[in-house]
Amino acid sequence: MNLILPKIDLPDLLQSWRKKFTVFLPQKLERFSHFMPLDDANAEILEQPHNTRIPPKALFLPMTEALVKFTRFGTYDDAELEVSPRIVFGMRPCDAQAVQLLDTVFEQEQYTDPFWVKRQEKTIRIGLGCHVPCANGFCTTVGYGPFSKDGLDILLTDLGDSFLVEVLSESGKTLFENLHEASEELKNQAKEIQHKAHDAMPIAFETENLKEKIEQNFKSDYWDEVSRSCLGCGVCTFLCPTCFCFDIVDEVQRQERVRNWDSCMFRIYSLEASGHNPRPSRIERTRQRLSHKYAYWLDQIGLIGCTGCGRCVSYCPVGLDIRAMLRQAQSLPFEVSHAE
Amino acid sequence: MPDINALKLEAKRILREGIVDVVVGFKPGDSPLHPQPAFFRNEDEVEELIHNGLCKNNLANYLTRLPKQEKVGILVRGCENRSVNSLIVESQKERDDLYLIGIPCEGIIDWRRIVEQAGEHISMVEDNESEVTVHAPTGVNSYNRFDLLHESCQRCLHRNPVSADTLIGDPVANGSLELATQKVKNFESQDIEARYAFFQKEAERCIRCYACREACPSCYCTECFVDHNTPRWTESGATPAGMQGWHIVRAFHQSGRCTSCGACERACPMDIKMTYLTEKLNHDMREKYNFECGMDAETKPPFQTVTLDDKNRFFVGGGK
Amino acid sequence: MPNNSRSPYTPMPMRVLRAYYESTDRSLKTLELSFESSEDRKAFFAKFNPGQFCLLSVAGKGESALGVASAAWEGDFVRFTAQRMGTVTNALHALKAGDPIGMRGPLGNGFPLDDWKSKNLVIIGGGCAFSTLYALTKHVHHPDNRDDFGKITLVYGTRTSGLCMYKHDIASWHEREDMEIHQAIDVPEENWLHHVGYVPDVVKEVAPSPENAVAVVCGPPIMTKFTLPALLELGFAPEAIFTSLEKRMKCGLGKCGRCNLGHKYICKDGPVFSLAELNALPADL
Repeated sequence: MNLILPKIDLPDLLQSWRKKFTVFLPQKLERFSHFMPLDDANAEILEQPHNTRIPPKALFLPMTEALVKFTRFGTYDDAELEVSPRIVFGMRPCDAQAVQLLDTVFEQEQYTDPFWVKRQEKTIRIGLGCHVPCANGFCTTVGYGPFSKDGLDILLTDLGDSFLVEVLSESGKTLFENLHEASEELKNQAKEIQHKAHDAMPIAFETENLKEKIEQNFKSDYWDEVSRSCLGCGVCTFLCPTCFCFDIVDEVQRQERVRNWDSCMFRIYSLEASGHNPRPSRIERTRQRLSHKYAYWLDQIGLIGCTGCGRCVSYCPVGLDIRAMLRQAQSLPFEVSHAE
Repeated sequence: MPDINALKLEAKRILREGIVDVVVGFKPGDSPLHPQPAFFRNEDEVEELIHNGLCKNNLANYLTRLPKQEKVGILVRGCENRSVNSLIVESQKERDDLYLIGIPCEGIIDWRRIVEQAGEHISMVEDNESEVTVHAPTGVNSYNRFDLLHESCQRCLHRNPVSADTLIGDPVANGSLELATQKVKNFESQDIEARYAFFQKEAERCIRCYACREACPSCYCTECFVDHNTPRWTESGATPAGMQGWHIVRAFHQSGRCTSCGACERACPMDIKMTYLTEKLNHDMREKYNFECGMDAETKPPFQTVTLDDKNRFFVGGGK
Repeated sequence: MPNNSRSPYTPMPMRVLRAYYESTDRSLKTLELSFESSEDRKAFFAKFNPGQFCLLSVAGKGESALGVASAAWEGDFVRFTAQRMGTVTNALHALKAGDPIGMRGPLGNGFPLDDWKSKNLVIIGGGCAFSTLYALTKHVHHPDNRDDFGKITLVYGTRTSGLCMYKHDIASWHEREDMEIHQAIDVPEENWLHHVGYVPDVVKEVAPSPENAVAVVCGPPIMTKFTLPALLELGFAPEAIFTSLEKRMKCGLGKCGRCNLGHKYICKDGPVFSLAELNALPADL
């Protein structure tokens, strides 16, 4: 189903959804944009071309959340979680794709994460395709794209004065009841915009055999070279839409066992009580971060665990650029595996 | 701007003559907005060396990360030179193992201000004395350099290296104390509710990524207080208590140890203002103890001059 | 209150049935826990297999992953032996009979007993990591299970005789005719009748036959590192050598990312891996 939404009608539409939903959309916070709930004031629809500073994974896996309530008598209960029905408006395809990748972690058959699932089930995801290529993103390089539909209920294409509304799921249908079907002309116009945007994204590095090169050069000096200036902070992982590692700690005052975002780039992440650390320096930690995204994810689900949003490139405090790191990895020696 | 050829010549010379094992400087990144810290170990590698207003890191940070036994040549601006001195005072590096190539500094450009002005597709940035010319697909535009500077650089007091082995370029005029302390005075003049509200608003945007800590040359502890688990000093989550705890204690650990370089703020992915806290401490150090961190490589910060016979009762042997 | 819909992060209520020191230096303490709810008990034993682990939980301190040191037939309880190490294990050591405690599990894969049927077992343990091998041996000893397996050869080394765990049972095993047992300590002690030396050397000396056999190794990393090649030298195939891995763990469910090893999670896909499987994974340990 393809509908047309005139931009002038959008503010009222957003407000009308508030009767049944909490509506999250990117709003200005200090010097960047951030997903925040729409309030009474008619929120400004940001005409910024690209994604928010913090990826919307935070709406599904908050930086901090309680998992368990305990008492000093040693009893335990599930932490309560109330989630009202929500709409996330203006998710970029790279970020929606990332949430879909994370589903495979949190919704495994063996153990599903009830907190993740609850937020998922209550959320309708409205994506906004990127008709202007961003400087540091590389979605097409890693097999995704500026108008990817994965993980979205609705995809919007900016046509100037209006949006083309592509309804991708049943839950998305009900939100746009009174809109007209798009004309063939507008549909074609949207298609052209989508293709142009896709073609405008440069290929940042080759992915062919990248996994083999990374795996086979586990002990290479390459990892030392690319991690030398790394500070060991958590910017790349915390701003990453697909990073999901967390720590679990007991907060005694609140009598809660909580999970907090954690990062494989931190020294204490892998430090064991015995003092042994399997990843003692930034070399091993950098290797883990890149290998996880560009090798281990592929073994697990056949997809690259990086959606090319470019946040780690933009905000690394020392200007380390994963695109350049992977270009360099492409020059590593490797042997074709003949297995299977 | 320093004469890049003179810089390269000096870096090559100290490598060639075996004065140092490595020179710490900058090399170009993929984007002109993000030069990277780099480690040059031979003359050929030095060809990559660059230095301009977008080189945003405090290179002294790497002195505690490089192998201890190495002799290090390092490019230092005013703040970096003071950080180096501070590390020598705190016994983290021997002065004899260092060779400081001094660069008088005109201030570091805040790349985010360029992006705000000219968009993110930047192909070239020309950094001249008073003007910065930015090349973007939308056109070529020039901006007043001072307006693009990072805040801590706009109010910088000591722009010239204080103890370099050699200076590349002519010394520049140092900043004024009035401008340097204006921000602190403005903050102090507010009432307690307003100050706390500001502190809350800034601290609570924190995501606990610790980029501020890792970017700071003075934060070299193997185990930071927030990572300690018996006992736990503060909540480790992104909760108000945890975030405020981190920001206030981090600042206090810098008392008399901060050189106002602003690397913490430049590293922050959430644009959190932090230097108003450390600047207040620096201001107090100046007013109460007539001390500025790192002006030489001998003087200990006031809070590190503890002696066992201190007259205060809370010290060992005190009160007698 | 029995609660079957509890979140996988929420521990089930347990109670300390017995708590006693396992080593003379009091660094090792054994806790036997009983279930507060019969549904939890049933659910636990329906899933339990030797080689699995649980997360023991002390409210306000956190959780610690410990291998199960009991066999199902021993009774309606679960046994663990904790080495005093960090915050949580210190708190575990402070527990006494009657105290409440939380537990999540059983977690992980456990030993592939079905694949081991009719084979000779070479069981090699060192230090407190022996606990799951103790559970394995107890399991195999049960008359209902004993005929499923061939000969048992056990090598168990500790730094000192005082650190040897489950002394009573182990003493009785020397009398058994269906198993061969080799105990070792690192340095000589008066009145010690068994081997003196490191486990890998004892394994070489004992030289168990690889014929129709599987070897399972659990011990400190340094012991495992040198025992695995010793077994290869004796002719064991990588597919016939098993070990249990340890890494820092938090969730135990393959979500928090901490025990990630290549594309596997030790908590969910392990902790038991064959050497053949390990050889295909990065050396990120």
